[in-house]
Amino acid sequence: MKGLTLRNLHKTYFDLNMGSRVTAVQDVSLHIREGEFVAVVGPSGCGKSTILNMVAGFLPATKGEVLVGDRPVKGPGPDRGVVFQNFALFPWKTVIDNVGFGLKMRGIPKPERDRIAREFLALAGLTNAADRYPNELSGGMQQRVGVVRALANEPDVLLMDEPFASVDAQTRMTLQEELTRIWQERRHTVLFITHDVGEAVFLADRVIVLSKGQVLREIDIPISRPRAWDTVSEQDDFKRLSSEVLQMVRSA
Amino acid sequence: MSQLGQVLEQYGRWAARWPTIAALVPFLPIVALWWGVAAAEVFPRAFFPGPLEVVNGFAVLTYKGILPAYLEDSIGRLALGAACGIAIGVPLGLLVGLNRAAHTALWPLVLFFQAIGDIAWLPLLLIWFGFGLTTMTFVIVYTVIFPVVFNTALGVRSIAPELVRAALSLGASRIAVLREVILPGALPNIMTGLRNGLGYGWRALIAAEIIVGTSGIGFMMFDARRAGSAVEIVIGMIVLGLLWYVVDAWILAPIERATGQRWGLIARS
Repeated sequence: MKGLTLRNLHKTYFDLNMGSRVTAVQDVSLHIREGEFVAVVGPSGCGKSTILNMVAGFLPATKGEVLVGDRPVKGPGPDRGVVFQNFALFPWKTVIDNVGFGLKMRGIPKPERDRIAREFLALAGLTNAADRYPNELSGGMQQRVGVVRALANEPDVLLMDEPFASVDAQTRMTLQEELTRIWQERRHTVLFITHDVGEAVFLADRVIVLSKGQVLREIDIPISRPRAWDTVSEQDDFKRLSSEVLQMVRSA
Repeated sequence: MSQLGQVLEQYGRWAARWPTIAALVPFLPIVALWWGVAAAEVFPRAFFPGPLEVVNGFAVLTYKGILPAYLEDSIGRLALGAACGIAIGVPLGLLVGLNRAAHTALWPLVLFFQAIGDIAWLPLLLIWFGFGLTTMTFVIVYTVIFPVVFNTALGVRSIAPELVRAALSLGASRIAVLREVILPGALPNIMTGLRNGLGYGWRALIAAEIIVGTSGIGFMMFDARRAGSAVEIVIGMIVLGLLWYVVDAWILAPIERATGQRWGLIARS
């Protein structure tokens, strides 16, 4: 596990519709400590997904750099596990082969990677789904596989791009609780992108509010763990912090 | 009208239970019509043989070993041509689908040569290679390649970019992305291309055999014309149709469906 540093990150691109250069991310600096859970929240178009794509190495930064520990990011790599909004599971692989994919890329033989994959599947209550194909699973189950696939590869940093945005509200709350539970056991360094203020406050140690490609403010979330929606949603701290973040997002 | 609908519905249910028989039923009225026209001697019998004569001729040709031998020749040529066509078409399709520069450079050529058509090459091929297997293989390869290239490129482009990103962020090399993501992702489309390509290739082969041939089903049919044997020509036509039906309905279509459906890429009907 390592920390994650974003140093003066810029992203501009040429917008064909507008016929001019557009700034998506402007001078964002951020340090996520080893084992810290940071959520970046902001309205759509604020540049939060662009930041994640640069950290993941999918997009080159126009200026600035991203460091995992003290190693600069050059492109996508297994040190940064990514959980996608639309799951991005391989439809032609069974659940267990999806989860074992990263291990396969490292050359770990099949019996060994199946053993590891089963361990991680059990972590998310997916033991019985091991031999099914992704299209046979509900959205919630698919995203559990997506999370577990990223975790099974033991990344230094976990990047999550609105991972629960496309599942129904009840499932979303369950997934959020499961994520906090798993995170507490394993203490990954997490960069979590969302537009959902409640989700950001519920999950994170620290919330970054983003506006027009810039960091508007950082807020620590000192709510005790383990966190469960039943108790957390009743806490005054949670209510106060949520409305504070919400106001900032809405003014952004 | 509603009674007809009921009958059709009944038939649909029955057909689902007995697919092999259901595949034969549509031919019954056609055979009956053929029988009737032949029996009425609207045309002279020698020009328009009836079903019985054709079945008879089929038995004789099979017994003499001519039909099996020619069939073997034709299928062998198709298999060889198809194998070469896939070996060239799939990599070319991958290249065109994956690489923008390759697409820009090759696409006009692909379109241009596709338009020329297989048979249009024959005169030149005969000058180059003469009457032989090389000429026929060239024609089949030429015919199979284009649908395979088009569909492979389409398949590659239809793969969600997230899947490639997911693979890369799980540590996959470029080669591993090709093997684990691009190829399986494009496979249903590759199968579609292959299915189309073989269908065209089969027809091109018969045409080539008619012109080039020294053996094969197409040669048999054209040779029969010289002998004035309408029976053998009709036998050839029936064999062509039957054989393709078997290959397509029993082999190619199930593979295409299996790859796409199991993965949820094609909606279940």
